[in-house]
Amino acid sequence: MHALDTRAGLVYRAAPIPETEHTAMKLLPLALAVAATATPFVAGAEDLGLVTDEQILLKQVMADKRTVYAASLKLSDPESRAFWPIYDEYEGKVKKLDDRFLDLVNRFAAEYDSLSDIEAKQMLEEKMAIEKERMALKQTYTRRVAKALPAKKALRYAQVETRIENMIRRDVYALIPLAI
Amino acid sequence: MHKHFVALAALAACAVAGPVIAQTVNDENQVLLSQIQTDKRAIVLKGLQLSQPESAAFIPIYDEYQAEQKKIADRTIATIDKFAANYDSMTEDAAKGILKEWFGIEDDRADLLKKYAKKLERVLPAQKVLRFVQIENKLNTLVAMQAARIIPLAKP
Repeated sequence: MHALDTRAGLVYRAAPIPETEHTAMKLLPLALAVAATATPFVAGAEDLGLVTDEQILLKQVMADKRTVYAASLKLSDPESRAFWPIYDEYEGKVKKLDDRFLDLVNRFAAEYDSLSDIEAKQMLEEKMAIEKERMALKQTYTRRVAKALPAKKALRYAQVETRIENMIRRDVYALIPLAI
Repeated sequence: MHKHFVALAALAACAVAGPVIAQTVNDENQVLLSQIQTDKRAIVLKGLQLSQPESAAFIPIYDEYQAEQKKIADRTIATIDKFAANYDSMTEDAAKGILKEWFGIEDDRADLLKKYAKKLERVLPAQKVLRFVQIENKLNTLVAMQAARIIPLAKP
């Protein structure tokens, strides 16, 4: 049910980011991969099973993001050489935060029916800490991009990154039940 | 809820259309922002399913939070205005200035939510505070996505 709802919203979700249909289509597999990644964590609320293919799916999301940026930023060759190493370093760090967040979701799922006050506080703190670190990371790396590329391209990069982040958040939040 | 998003999109669209138009609809922006906040309050209250004593404790803190959020929303509109004014001929300085303001807004919004989650923890069970933050995050994400539908990407 959750996965179906997520897919039903894909076209709507993909629309805001791109300026071309080409880019919109590139985002579809990204959102699909995100939905597929997120779905097992909801199942986890029922069977507490660990996810087996999350790493593969996350790699897929990251690969599709690369394609989106390549299409969106329209980099010259020298700009490409400056941008991609920064981007790859950033993505490597984001992935660690994603893993922390997925761990948190798994814990939330495991404790869902009997979440104590202390656990709820700890989870809230962890969620906010992850958000804060993610934001700081995006800002730090956007500043680096702004040193390597024209600032308006860095601005465009941050806009695309934020839109992708929000798409992922929207899909994941839709799949995680509210605390009781 | 769709109506709220249309209102926000209209607000964002006005800002993106250009500084002159944005100026003329500034009062309207304030009305729309106020409407969004009122409707958001109703959604949050419904989603939280608070008891009467919990509501009595929650509402004053939430209203204070919304007042603080309103200041951040005003800054956001000002930044969108700046983006619109510079859109066709974005200079290095303008782009850097917009990025700086935008990131400052993001930081302040996150800090504000954290500050008020702490305040709420003193009057509500932590599970309900967690639920509040979940609802708040969902709404904020949806509003941000809706605004992004209207605001174009900077020219490459």
